[in-house]
Amino acid sequence: MLGRGLKRKLSDYEENMAGLSSAFDSSRSLPYPLKRQLVLNMCLTKLQTYKMLVEPNLHRSVLIANTVRQIQEEMRQESNQQPVNICPGITPSSHSYPGMESSGISLQLPSGISQQESSCCDLRSVEDPIENSLLIVSDDDMSSAISSILKDLDFVEDISPPTCLVPSGDDQPKFPENTGLKLEDDRQDLKGAECVFGSFEISNSTSYLKDLAIDDIFEDIDTSMYDSDFCCPPLMPPRSPSLATEEPLKTFPSCNSSSASNIQICRTDLSELDHIMEILVGS
Amino acid sequence: MSHKQAGGPAGESAADWCLYQLNGAAEFEVSEADIISTVEFNHTGELLATGDKGGRVVIFQREPESKNEPYNQGEYNVYSTFQSHEPEFDYLKSLEIEEKINKIKWLPQQNAAHSLLSTNDKTIKLWKITERDKRPEGYNLKDEEGKLKDLSTVTSLQVPVLKPMDLMVEVTPRRIFANGHTYHVNSISVNSDCETYMSADDLRINLWHLAITDRSFNIVDIKPANMEDLTEVITASEFHPHHCNLFVYSSSKGSLRLCDMRASALCDKHSKLYEEPEDPSNRSFFSEIISSVSDVKFSHSGRYMLTRDYLTVKVWDLNMETKPVETYQVHDYLRSKLCSLYENDCIFDKFECAWNGSDSVIMTGAYNNFFRMFDRNTKRDVTLEASRESSKPRAILKPRRVCVGGKRRKDDISVDSLDFTKKILHTAWHPTENIIAIAATNNLYIFQDKVNSEMH
Repeated sequence: MLGRGLKRKLSDYEENMAGLSSAFDSSRSLPYPLKRQLVLNMCLTKLQTYKMLVEPNLHRSVLIANTVRQIQEEMRQESNQQPVNICPGITPSSHSYPGMESSGISLQLPSGISQQESSCCDLRSVEDPIENSLLIVSDDDMSSAISSILKDLDFVEDISPPTCLVPSGDDQPKFPENTGLKLEDDRQDLKGAECVFGSFEISNSTSYLKDLAIDDIFEDIDTSMYDSDFCCPPLMPPRSPSLATEEPLKTFPSCNSSSASNIQICRTDLSELDHIMEILVGS
Repeated sequence: MSHKQAGGPAGESAADWCLYQLNGAAEFEVSEADIISTVEFNHTGELLATGDKGGRVVIFQREPESKNEPYNQGEYNVYSTFQSHEPEFDYLKSLEIEEKINKIKWLPQQNAAHSLLSTNDKTIKLWKITERDKRPEGYNLKDEEGKLKDLSTVTSLQVPVLKPMDLMVEVTPRRIFANGHTYHVNSISVNSDCETYMSADDLRINLWHLAITDRSFNIVDIKPANMEDLTEVITASEFHPHHCNLFVYSSSKGSLRLCDMRASALCDKHSKLYEEPEDPSNRSFFSEIISSVSDVKFSHSGRYMLTRDYLTVKVWDLNMETKPVETYQVHDYLRSKLCSLYENDCIFDKFECAWNGSDSVIMTGAYNNFFRMFDRNTKRDVTLEASRESSKPRAILKPRRVCVGGKRRKDDISVDSLDFTKKILHTAWHPTENIIAIAATNNLYIFQDKVNSEMH
């Protein structure tokens, strides 16, 4: 696409991408979902590249993130209207998909779901060579990619205190339902912990943490203890000499429910945690 | 504008642009630091400043007209060169701060000295440019070299006299406005009150007093509480040329906001919002990206605003918020190439735009070293090229044409042959005359309209 006079060395991947984007531009027969997938992949690739930069360009990141959100929203609407999962590319078209050039991004529903299912796989094999070079990306990946980019930009750019204690919407990794306690506080304090991590890790690690569910790390520590404000005060005084080591524990908010069984759990887990803290602090 | 016409409407004849002069090394000698990043005439047009990626500012001064050859008006010669910004390292964030000069703005001249503001991503500096062409001689206590005289040799008193010397241009940094911006500064604009100026980064706009460097007022802040909610950034801003309380800023979503500083201290609420609804027939995945406004300029009259987005330039009437009054296609043939341009990042290129002195013609750059001019009255437009091959001094520039397939005339260029690495991002128009400055990578082209030296 660049001027013919210039020779440019391309890696294989870049050559594929250049070939694909030329195909996008020149081909009117490329199916709409495929075009959309191609654009989505390009966006995510760019976001990934920007994450590796020390200082990503905020303007570009925002534009790309908006494009991803737009595509994501469209795909979400499509999948909401169709109970059966469409395979990520092809639907039979007696309706031809409007190319990008003509009427805009309209949600064209296939005429029948069963028809779609059966012919889906057939067409898929035909389109395979192209699709193989496209990544199939999930909703969560996209959301976490966008939010981690923008959050990293916040740290990188602004010294003002992180305003990360506000629980955000749907773009958080899934939290466990198992404690049966108030999850809002869980979300808040885990996100708070995450932000603390985020401030001190380089951007790659931050996204790594995001992609793991946070509870994987805390698996062997039962955080339910911290949701019970009944158990903490009575247990604290006997441990006053090591109170200093428990300062970090106070970053977790005070608990809000209690039960007898919790006290038992509290005691054993608290001593375990205490042991861990002693190791960490080196006392 | 490509053909001379005697006695056109209102006595206006088409312009013939020819190369006035060319500054800069040949292209195979380009180093990254020499790439020109901004061009700006001062208020009289006597001085022309350029900034480059290496943090240097070069000021050209126009030689006074020679009465013998009225058409051969004065050349722009180098007046001064100085290092405005140096690369810096932010230790707190472990980030390098580029020394590239993003913008230069001249202050209106108030005494014998000239002043300009230059900015990189983070720091704005006020430079004072003075001339020295006389020096005192005949000191009593010091000799010619400045050494103290032996007092015994001093037998009489004399008054030192000023004697002429070779012209020396001195540039001194008078103010350094630092630490005002967390994000990258994209524009600065001097207020018509000549006392204040504003600087805009991606998310905030600050108001400074020219004499005070340790304080600035934040007048616009669009940073959301949660960065994950960020969907829009500030791309350019400018003060109104006559009303010192009004300014406009543009966004990445293609909207303009006119703000009145009298309304409140923080101008987050706009007074007027200029937005054109999207054309559904042109909708694509890249619609938002290409709608991002890369430059906004008030007309000299103050009645209109000019905006540049990726494919068009638009003229907006301050009194009409719903749509622009005029839209000009700069290179619509790129509309079908958007995916490729997105892939190679060209879609993010930020082109500037410019008015001529009488607000009748607008100009903007494009690819392949092309630049475009649109005459608002005749509705004619022209594409010209800034390149060594096509510009012989004093020869008239030949209009260029890009063909999109179909009939191809001789000398046409096809869309696929365009060189996207040769982009004209920065252009400037003399405030009163038909002289334009075009920055093409490291080269500065100055073109003059041979036919009409004065503007219509």
